Amino acid sequence: MSQNAYLPKLGRIAAIKEEVPGGRAIKTFRIEFVNGDGFEHDCGQCAMISVFGKGESMISIASAPHIKEYKQFSIMRVGRVTTALHDLNVGDVVGIRGPYGNKFPVKDWKGRNLIFIGGGCGLAPIWPVIQTAVNDRGQFGKISVFYGGRSSRDIMYKNELDKLKGDAEVHLSIDNQEEGWEGYCGFVPANVMSKTPSAENAIAITCGPPIMIKFVIQNLKELGFTDENIYTTIENKMKCGIGKCGRCNVGKDYVCVNGPVYSWAALKDLPQEY
Amino acid sequence: MTKTVAMEKMLKKADLAAWMAKLGQTRLFAPALEDEDVWNYMPVADAKAVGLDHPNTIRPPKGFVFPQREVLYKFSQIPSEAPILTETLPDPEPTVVFGVRPCDSRGLVRQDIVFTKEYEDPYYHGRRAKVIYVGQACNTPPSANCFCSSVGGSPCAEDGLDVLMTELDGVYHVKAVTARGAELLAKGGDLFKDASATDKAHVEKTHAAAKAHPQRPIKDLGKVAGALKKNFDSPAWDEMAKACIGCGICTFLCPTCHCFDINDEVTCSSPCSGERVRTWDTCQFPDFTMHTSGHNPRHDLGSRLRQRVCHKFLYFVENHDTQQCTGCGRCVSLCPVGIDIVSVVERLGQP
Repeated sequence: MSQNAYLPKLGRIAAIKEEVPGGRAIKTFRIEFVNGDGFEHDCGQCAMISVFGKGESMISIASAPHIKEYKQFSIMRVGRVTTALHDLNVGDVVGIRGPYGNKFPVKDWKGRNLIFIGGGCGLAPIWPVIQTAVNDRGQFGKISVFYGGRSSRDIMYKNELDKLKGDAEVHLSIDNQEEGWEGYCGFVPANVMSKTPSAENAIAITCGPPIMIKFVIQNLKELGFTDENIYTTIENKMKCGIGKCGRCNVGKDYVCVNGPVYSWAALKDLPQEY
Repeated sequence: MTKTVAMEKMLKKADLAAWMAKLGQTRLFAPALEDEDVWNYMPVADAKAVGLDHPNTIRPPKGFVFPQREVLYKFSQIPSEAPILTETLPDPEPTVVFGVRPCDSRGLVRQDIVFTKEYEDPYYHGRRAKVIYVGQACNTPPSANCFCSSVGGSPCAEDGLDVLMTELDGVYHVKAVTARGAELLAKGGDLFKDASATDKAHVEKTHAAAKAHPQRPIKDLGKVAGALKKNFDSPAWDEMAKACIGCGICTFLCPTCHCFDINDEVTCSSPCSGERVRTWDTCQFPDFTMHTSGHNPRHDLGSRLRQRVCHKFLYFVENHDTQQCTGCGRCVSLCPVGIDIVSVVERLGQP
């Protein structure tokens, strides 16, 4: 961490990809540190991105740690800063500080089957784990990815998900039937239930809207997953990233330091204030 | 934060101004009347006018090291070019603050924890290193809402102070608590006489009498955290918070509250220039926790009152083994609708 944690490093936008169009637009940004002055990160960690004059937003780093050339962020346009980010072009310079938070204990998962369950923008925080597992394919057991969006337009990382096939089973879903859709129709938790993944030697990693996570966990428990083998990430409003400004505080934890990654065993003991 | 020393001296009340005069190139602050009945820390213009016999200040002295508004850095950016960022770390003049009450210095100790754990905040510590706190034991009866003794403190506690002064008859007993405090006493030279055995006995007796003044009690402090955890879902939170108007005064005037916001203040649009600023913020405002999506983890008054009380009497205890409340009573006395943390703890923090 630099001497002054509040002072960001500079990152130049190297590429922008439009993932999802419309009112809930998602764009993926590849950001390269200016003059190579950056930082390394672990799976699950976040970074604070600045658009000077607008402010900062805490965004999960969606690229895997072994990719050193850039950091990837997939960002939905919702507030002041994310709207400003969506208006930027390749070559523009933003501030970036971090990395913040704990990490997925990927090293402890060697030899285990990994089941990823994402919804909407929630694919981004677990994407580095998926990429790490695929990159180190021999180290892990079976890999399954469940991912859903409201409609086929809301599915992000379409090409990347396609490329996973061979290394992982991919089960896509959309909420309502559309012409030509070959995947599952219905909500993500129901898609998981319909495929009845085995809890045997498996770790489940889920991220998405709070209501989806709630039902996914319920269903995983029904499938026999223990609290210790279910992982998720939570988000709260953040300003400092270093456990001082107080707004991401949940019980005794500061999500920016003690989170965002939690096993359900740890999370269920915290107040439901996230 | 510095090594503790124990040096006890005596200073005539009339010589306080002379001591202040000898402190040289230092900003001096002491409580003074800001308005009718409103005491606050003010720059010492006339040392002779400084007396330390006054009620506690309306605001705690936390702003000396954690100002309400602090510029973190300045930025200036021409579109598509790299911005120029100018760090604005504080480098304040050495400052001595007189008349700090033990509840407020204990608040400072708690702020030290927050701004030091995980990462040493350079803005906080840049100021902290330059501010010396001269405390004043409370040897007059406590105010109606004082409860320092009920939360592990005392009217003559030394934690967080560099010097503790106790007023005796026409004379101050002045104890250096830290090396910085001892240096401050050394500057007074001949004005200070060594405390005799009689003086020491006198101050002990005065402190004992101060501690004997009854204060608002909190029963079984050690069991409060557990009880609050058990009562987390109690409907009483909503009931007790019903009158709250969300003004946040309870936290802004609190010597331990440290939450802040960070925002950009733009002064010029081309190039886009301005300052990134941190300002005090409060868990009592609804938008403190509101996500951009509109989802708000603490969406009602009850959950926000619970956050304030549980942070002080449960979460901070779990993390640092001490309460984040020092019993100054400001949040009780100055709440416009009479929400009273002691009553809340009495009701929801008892097994």
